Amino acid sequence: MAAAPSRPFDFLEGLPGTVFYKLYQQPSTALAIFRRMLPDLAKCFVMALLYLKDPLPAADLEDWVRPESLRERDNALSILGRLHILTNTTTSNNVRAYMVTNPFAASLRQALMGTEQTQSFGVLSQLGDETAVTISDLDEYAGRQWEGVLGYMVGTSGLGIQRDVNLSKGVKQLLQAGHLVEIRDRRVEITKDGFAFVLQDVGTQVWHILILYVESAEHIRMDSVEVLSFIFLLSSLELGKSYQKKNLTSNQIRTLTDLADFGIVYQESPEATRFYPTRLATTLTSDSSALSNPISGSLTGTDTSSEAGSGFIIVETNYRIYAYTSSPLQISLIALFSTLKYRFPNLITGKITRQSIRRAVEMGITADQIISYISTHAHPQMRKHNIAKTANPQAGVPPSVLPPTVVDQIRLWQLERDRVKATAGFLFKDFVSFAEYEAPCRYAEDIGVLTWKSDRRRMFFVTRHEQVAAFLRSRK
Amino acid sequence: MPRAVRGVLIECDPSVKAIILKYDEERHDYIVEDLDDDRHLVIKESQLQNLKLRLGKDLDEKLMQPDESESE
Repeated sequence: MAAAPSRPFDFLEGLPGTVFYKLYQQPSTALAIFRRMLPDLAKCFVMALLYLKDPLPAADLEDWVRPESLRERDNALSILGRLHILTNTTTSNNVRAYMVTNPFAASLRQALMGTEQTQSFGVLSQLGDETAVTISDLDEYAGRQWEGVLGYMVGTSGLGIQRDVNLSKGVKQLLQAGHLVEIRDRRVEITKDGFAFVLQDVGTQVWHILILYVESAEHIRMDSVEVLSFIFLLSSLELGKSYQKKNLTSNQIRTLTDLADFGIVYQESPEATRFYPTRLATTLTSDSSALSNPISGSLTGTDTSSEAGSGFIIVETNYRIYAYTSSPLQISLIALFSTLKYRFPNLITGKITRQSIRRAVEMGITADQIISYISTHAHPQMRKHNIAKTANPQAGVPPSVLPPTVVDQIRLWQLERDRVKATAGFLFKDFVSFAEYEAPCRYAEDIGVLTWKSDRRRMFFVTRHEQVAAFLRSRK
Repeated sequence: MPRAVRGVLIECDPSVKAIILKYDEERHDYIVEDLDDDRHLVIKESQLQNLKLRLGKDLDEKLMQPDESESE
């Protein structure tokens, strides 16, 4: 599976080159970036170039890709360039060539061959296993802490039903600094960004929080590069194993304590000599989506020992919604986009209406977030029933968990609200000839930044201008 | 000599585009470039929020809304 462009990628891309230089000193970081952030083709390029002594002429590398896949090639090269992994150089006889940049190449080679003596991948704790924590304990801990954080944001902690989760001051400050919640009159109020945040899947949420943490690290006098590479280190640890703390720096130990509050790592006490990564940490840089199941399973408010990931929401074609849950967090979430009618000990009922969807859209929640939330948590009976009914091989209709009419209507209600689609970027215009217009326009399309073009008026609109401008200059 | 201009590309219905063009006639403070088809134009980045608010308000007033009863 190709790594999707994502928030961590955007964040990394915005960092200055010197930060990359420091980050890539760590084999664990180089490996994590290689595994998670690169599309498959880019991985091939890196592997092919990794053990070459001399730069590879650009023409040779470009020959590897069939002409019909130029777009993928340019996209891969552009990503590698933006992450400072590949540089343009020249060979000894002045031919344009590519090579893998150095701290990255050396670190990745180390990570692959394991010759390193550094502690880049953590040191396993040698303590006896009589007090070892099991994976299910870790999952439960991670789920409970994370639900506590979400619950705090949605404001369920006031209801007093929640299992006791102590959120540290640091967690609350971080959520505030990230504008996910605001404190008004000593009450916690969730913001637009916060709404969007709580409906995302857990992996995205964890990255969001970690990036906020890295950004705020500077304010509490920690080196953000150190924190970031520590996060990459955590992501390469193994679930269910414990690791020594004594070889960590003081900043890393501090980070560890902060992350324990979110359930990303577990330690018996801040003074303990070892720590365990939880599933939230170990799936950060892998493609495995298994992460969301055990965690969101425990988030459904059902007993954590019950079957993981079972859904609890039923939506009927008449827009009525039934949710078998007693979790205050889930009830608050459902109330965001529906009008609740009745509440029973283990069931709430409500209706999705035009007003309720408009209200949600005005708060900044998108129709797609709502739909994906409902279908992720759809009741098993709904899955069984609707997939059997809507899967029609002749018509080529993909199976859908939710009644199609409801899905369409939610989208239409949002469109009613959002009449314009806005894309910030740059308009290129005033090309003298069609030939002059066509080449940069095609280049923009190949690197995936083109949003609109008009051959007749010789104009095109892109989301990023740096590479296109460089392209124009290079052709002069 | 080609130029690059910063702005926000707006994609919308022809009807909405007509409304935006009408706003711009007042003081010419919205549009960077009218892209001459029915659905696209480039506006100033600073005016985006303002435009969305104004559109939302006007459309709410002008469009017929079907009655919605809360009865079951």
